[in-house]
Amino acid sequence: MADKQTIDSLKEKAYEMRKMLVELCCDYTGNIHIGGDLSMTEMLIALYHYAMNVDPKDIKMPTRDRFILSKGHGAAGMYIAMALRGFFDYDTIFKTYGKLDSAFGMHPCKVQLPGVESSSGSLGQGLAIAVGMAASARQKGQKHRVYCLMGDGETCEGEVWEAALSTSSFGLGNLVGIVDRNKLMMTNTTEDNIVMEPYADKWRAFGWDVVEFDGNDMEQVVAALDNVPDTGSSKPVVLLSHTVKGKGVSFMENTIGWHAGSLNTEQAEKALLDIEESYGRGNA
Amino acid sequence: MAVIYNEGKRASGRKAAGNALYDMAGKYDNLWVVVADTGGALGAYKKEYKGRFLDVGIAEQAALGAAAGLALEGNIPFVFGMLPFLALRSAEQLRTAICYQNLPVRIIGTGGGLVGPTGSTHLSMEDIAVAKSMVNLTVIAISDPNMVKPILEKSMAHPGPIFIRLGYGADDPVLYDPGSVDYMIGKGLTIHEGNDVTIFTYGAVTFEALEAAETLKNEGVGVRVIDMFTLKPLDKELIVKAVKETGKIVVLEDHLMSCGLANSIADVCVESGVYPRAFKRLGIPEVYAGFGAGKELRKKYGYDTAATLAAVKEML
Repeated sequence: MADKQTIDSLKEKAYEMRKMLVELCCDYTGNIHIGGDLSMTEMLIALYHYAMNVDPKDIKMPTRDRFILSKGHGAAGMYIAMALRGFFDYDTIFKTYGKLDSAFGMHPCKVQLPGVESSSGSLGQGLAIAVGMAASARQKGQKHRVYCLMGDGETCEGEVWEAALSTSSFGLGNLVGIVDRNKLMMTNTTEDNIVMEPYADKWRAFGWDVVEFDGNDMEQVVAALDNVPDTGSSKPVVLLSHTVKGKGVSFMENTIGWHAGSLNTEQAEKALLDIEESYGRGNA
Repeated sequence: MAVIYNEGKRASGRKAAGNALYDMAGKYDNLWVVVADTGGALGAYKKEYKGRFLDVGIAEQAALGAAAGLALEGNIPFVFGMLPFLALRSAEQLRTAICYQNLPVRIIGTGGGLVGPTGSTHLSMEDIAVAKSMVNLTVIAISDPNMVKPILEKSMAHPGPIFIRLGYGADDPVLYDPGSVDYMIGKGLTIHEGNDVTIFTYGAVTFEALEAAETLKNEGVGVRVIDMFTLKPLDKELIVKAVKETGKIVVLEDHLMSCGLANSIADVCVESGVYPRAFKRLGIPEVYAGFGAGKELRKKYGYDTAATLAAVKEML
């Protein structure tokens, strides 16, 4: 159980990450997927700064926990969460993102950026890859976990459910699925686009334990990660992290137009003020 | 190398693969097999190496994804299944999960060409086109069941992904004296000498080219037959040499002839500035073939031994 000091420190990291996202979104001439980056901020921070056993100085450490960002369009969020942990230099991300010969692009590429466990970007592919990684760990008697963070929208893809079926069949309790359930896709809300509810029941029907919580509340996120089953468990768990797309920026929250985008200076200033205010730092 | 096709021996490529994987698994503790409710020839493997076997059910996308995950952890996974599904249904996983990351996954598929009565759903005529379009992917076609083991063994030292095409896979002609051929990935095999015409071929129809070449030899025509078992990377030197020395080219393949080996050879010729005096492609035309035995279908669509003979004679 994390103490208040730990939670406060994680909250502070999430605050820094949100400000960096706005800065990156403003400077970069193209788009970043800022809506979904902001919805999964608490989860990425809690994973990289609390739950996962990782060492930025030894990215191939055999005992490390593995993380796959199946919602690869959230690469900027992952880069920043990792940079805050010491994997990369934030200034390099800021200066080179999306530019020629940069290792930091809109979707993460393991070949360009070895600190990433697996390339992603084409949706729905992460969970099956995680199945292979978790099966390998089991066979080798390794005790680490494989975390796979998906967007709720990408779970429309059939491969997710092929993989979900096999995960429970293979008894891969060392695999932790996470769904960033922000309820928005690119063009519409999930429910207006394609009905997903009863969503938790779908995972349960595929043999998974389901834990639901407010994914923008750091205490709840940490508690969920604290309570994932032992890696020897035969039942995989999926964390349904209920979040708000665009969390922390008033004009982005729950707004369909902010799947991806870039901010002009005025919008960025407003976004930073919103974030400061939401953390009780504003002058307003 | 010794060509022994005239001895009439036959063997099963599927069984050869099953046996090879069983033997190799004892030697390599990072070897895995992944299937999608396939792999009837893997009985012994499954029994002995249960811990390194994944059957994800009838789900090719998850099979290739899981194979990618295994490879990311330092394993060498062999995905064994049916070609049309591996090459088409999971084409995107092959590209993005495997080739994009340049992972050492081996895809072995049966059903390459119009090799049986199963119909177009189960017969693969686009797989070479798909596979050769994938960056980092080495593409191999098995023409002799006894090729399977040495190719699979050789694959263990190969860093990137490999796509391996079997024909029907159950009862195919033996072409080469086992142990007499060094299969160098990326190098074609000249399996019949001749200087009048060259037939480039691969896979399950290679024996048809040999039959045609033997018949023509008796008629005083020298036909060079090249088993282009590596379709990517192509042995460009061997192509240029054959065009320079024989001038006339036939390409025989059990694949859509619009997008298989023939157009790759044409590309090499044009880019090398070496122009054949005659160029004829034999293979599957723009059609979804009906039902029938492989032999009957090849005859119907004009790429059996008789059609190959006729094509060569027309060039003389």
